[in-house]
Amino acid sequence: MASFTVLFLSAVVSAATVYVFAGLGELISERAGVLNLGVEGMMLVGALSGYVTTAITGNYWLGFLVGSLSGAILSLLHAFLCISLNADQAISGIMITLLGAGATSYFGQPWAATSIEGFPTTTVPVVGSYLAELPYLGIILFQNSATDFIALALIPVVWAFLYKTNIGLELLSVGEDPETADTMGVQVFQMRYLAVVIGGLFAGAAGAHLSLSFNTLWSSGMTAGTGWIAVALVIFAQWRPGRVVAGAYLFATFGALQLRSQSLSLSIPADLPFSGVLNGALGFFLDPSIMSTYPYVVTILVLIIVVRRTQDSHLAQPSALVQSYKRELD
Amino acid sequence: MQYDIQVTPRKDVPRWIAYGTPVFTVVAALVVTGVTLVALGFNPVEGYYYMFVDTLTTSYGLSETLIRAIPLIFAGLAVYIPLKANLWNIGAEGQLVVGAAAGTFVALNFSAPMYLLLPAMFLAAAFAGAIWGGIPGWLRAKWGINEIITTLLMTFIAINLLSYIVRGPMRGEDGNFPQTDLLPAVAQLPGIPGIDVNVGLVLAIGGVIATYFLFTRTHLGFQITVVGSNEHAAAQSGINKARVYLFVLVAGGILAAFAGISEIAGNQSRLQSTFEPGYGFTAIPIALLGRNGAFKLMLAAVFFAVLFVGGQSMSIAIGVPSALIEIIQALVILFLITAEFFKRYKVEITSKQQMEPSQKTATGGEI
Repeated sequence: MASFTVLFLSAVVSAATVYVFAGLGELISERAGVLNLGVEGMMLVGALSGYVTTAITGNYWLGFLVGSLSGAILSLLHAFLCISLNADQAISGIMITLLGAGATSYFGQPWAATSIEGFPTTTVPVVGSYLAELPYLGIILFQNSATDFIALALIPVVWAFLYKTNIGLELLSVGEDPETADTMGVQVFQMRYLAVVIGGLFAGAAGAHLSLSFNTLWSSGMTAGTGWIAVALVIFAQWRPGRVVAGAYLFATFGALQLRSQSLSLSIPADLPFSGVLNGALGFFLDPSIMSTYPYVVTILVLIIVVRRTQDSHLAQPSALVQSYKRELD
Repeated sequence: MQYDIQVTPRKDVPRWIAYGTPVFTVVAALVVTGVTLVALGFNPVEGYYYMFVDTLTTSYGLSETLIRAIPLIFAGLAVYIPLKANLWNIGAEGQLVVGAAAGTFVALNFSAPMYLLLPAMFLAAAFAGAIWGGIPGWLRAKWGINEIITTLLMTFIAINLLSYIVRGPMRGEDGNFPQTDLLPAVAQLPGIPGIDVNVGLVLAIGGVIATYFLFTRTHLGFQITVVGSNEHAAAQSGINKARVYLFVLVAGGILAAFAGISEIAGNQSRLQSTFEPGYGFTAIPIALLGRNGAFKLMLAAVFFAVLFVGGQSMSIAIGVPSALIEIIQALVILFLITAEFFKRYKVEITSKQQMEPSQKTATGGEI
């Protein structure tokens, strides 16, 4: 049983990486006041460009870099539309996702049946080999691919960036009150561009991680909705970095359970009362498709609970989220 | 010489921009898509020949286009009505899916003559769609929870529920595919005499006319427009904003559900987990293109129907990946929201010297 638990937790950790990347990116963008519904599209572009680069050069590090940068480049379009042209953020994001999904499926067709050598399973440099020897935790945390470690390392970096640096605090301020930030001398437009581009970079990294490390293949639509889950994750986390990470592991647990629920075959002994009804309910709630709804259901529940507790839906979210900023005009 | 870009809000939109925007948008999207055709080594002229000429000059192409237009019109209206109240129904896709599922359930589990069964199916679909649109509507009306987020989340719940029911409780007896049984003949929408299109088209056009009357002839439609254009004015004149929000999203949910059940009962005849190519999302560019009126919206829906049918024949004839349609949809949205900026703001590029006097008067007038 121990080995099942270890393997299961290790699967959770590697499944969480994509949510950590994409969720932290979405968090930074939203904290600066720009909703990004284009994550799924940016991830797909990152996945394909990273894959193609690796296939051509044989260098998966270069692939990861190109994948991340492609996400950032696509996010520039979103930034331009939302920040410079004051376009509706939700619609621009949907457009980015349609564009990313359509273009990668269109241009990626020849790469679908190919294979590459992606990131191998490895240990952290220097102390890694000792850490990997640790009982249980060694396998769960310290024997992963390099992109998993990068995601883990990003967690404190993003937290420190947002709360401990001037740029981070300025970034938060333009998401809360752009007018005041502007009068205080914060470059509102630059800050928002920066946040959206970091978000795109992380989304691209999430995609490249999928095609170079998690799966090492390209198939059209391979992100399979993880970008949308990242959007839900940030709301679920009520825009706090620590909770984004916790949520990433929770949602990854749903995902890992989903893959294994068939083999688990949990059931309630027949001699207990209501065992028939309970087993039916268990079968329903452990069904893979039903489990796929959990991230969305819990996010809606969190929205309702928070609103009921505070009687104000705008307390938790960045006050200027989804609002474009325009100096003096209008 | 130094140049400066000056952006000033427009007081009113010139007629040529208002009318030219949809046309310009579509042309620009097709031109850019032509470049992507060239990029993969296809001849864009040949490609667009199959897409448009072949579709619009053959009776097969025309009837296929009208059949496709039925769900697109309904789904477009599902986004259009909330948009009038300045709400975004991003989740027409989910409402469409639950509508299709509820209607199919009635069709497969009840036996009744056609004149009872078909209305019962549409009623069941409407009920499911009203719930799927009503929950976000209620959350928005009561607590101000952003409808963009909730309609989107509800969509992914619906898509996964669909995959559950076609693999589980509603799985058909024949074959190994995750799909329901075929709908009985009495549960399928009959054809319109003379043309090869089902009566869903009549219902969809009825929906367009009803929407037109809602906004031009009724007090409720007027209230929706006021809430959408000026919240303060709406509050001043005592309009119940919460009631408007709930109404538009419930109406949107019902219309999207009609898109779903009319696609099943009129075209596909059975429910599958991937039974339609994202009409609920296509509804967004349709509503954007047709946001000036229900009849323009219908034109936009027919245009996208041509794209879907033409894209398929282009894909079969010369092997262009059908994902091209998604690219065109994205580009239509891209150019529309770009054009929106030029509608609202006047952009002038001036050299520094010419600009100075005009700027002075501008600041003087502003303050």
